[in-house]
Amino acid sequence: MFIIHCPYCGEREQSEFKAGGEAHISRPKQPSELSDDQWAEYLFMRKNIKGVQYERWVHTHGCRKWFNIIRDTSNDQIQAVYKMGEKPPIK
Amino acid sequence: MLNYSNPITEQKSYSGLQLKEINPIMKLIVRGKKREFLSAIGQSLNLLLPNEPNTSTRTDKLTALWLSPDEWMIYSNETSNLDNNDYDIENILNKKISKTNLGAITNVTDQFVLINLKGDKIYDLFETGSPFNFNKFRNKVGSVTQTILAKIDVIIQNTNQNEVNLFVRRSFSQHLFSWMNDSASRL
Ligand SMILES: [Zn+2]
Repeated sequence: MFIIHCPYCGEREQSEFKAGGEAHISRPKQPSELSDDQWAEYLFMRKNIKGVQYERWVHTHGCRKWFNIIRDTSNDQIQAVYKMGEKPPIK
Repeated sequence: MLNYSNPITEQKSYSGLQLKEINPIMKLIVRGKKREFLSAIGQSLNLLLPNEPNTSTRTDKLTALWLSPDEWMIYSNETSNLDNNDYDIENILNKKISKTNLGAITNVTDQFVLINLKGDKIYDLFETGSPFNFNKFRNKVGSVTQTILAKIDVIIQNTNQNEVNLFVRRSFSQHLFSWMNDSASRL
């Protein structure tokens, strides 16, 4: 359990949120020209690393807005929170 | 004609805590982003929608709750006529907001049940089933939060010192009310 700072509502407990997977995966511009392998790469393959990861989360039981966080998956420490469409504040 | 069947039929009283449903209360969800949307609501209802998160605004007749950067709930402070299913305010907003594509108006009068809680044990009750930190909320009249209570989504507004309005979806209301009674009896 950890606290997430929703960019709209402020600090809330993790159980109010749902995780939405890795962030900044862009949809291929021409899906029909991709091979099955390339499409599967886009659709299913995720880094899922131990360490600092860019993720999408949604405040399901609050404002219902999506946003991004940068989280260390090994200790759940959140390094930054930023809104959809914004650039990651740290690299 | 509105055939209102109450999910909650009794008022309950404990030391430091009273619970009851208030109905019928008109409730509307309004959604929109444009500046024209905000000013159209303001002019039509003489009500400024709160733009500060987790707050509310009110006039004599209406209260507006902040739910999200582009979503608010407006409800009537007084109960409406039992025989009527037609709301002037909804009609005005439909004309000024929906028809002009400034935003969306949804009548959720029968979707949400309003439970009123009074007493100095309100927050002791909430603490038995919510992950939300009520420390700031309880000291600021007008505060609003959407959170979880007994695993159920609720909207809670601090309406007065030791008084809150709680909105819950109708299908969960009976269960939530019985949970609150059970929990209140053990405080
Ligand atoms: Zn939020």
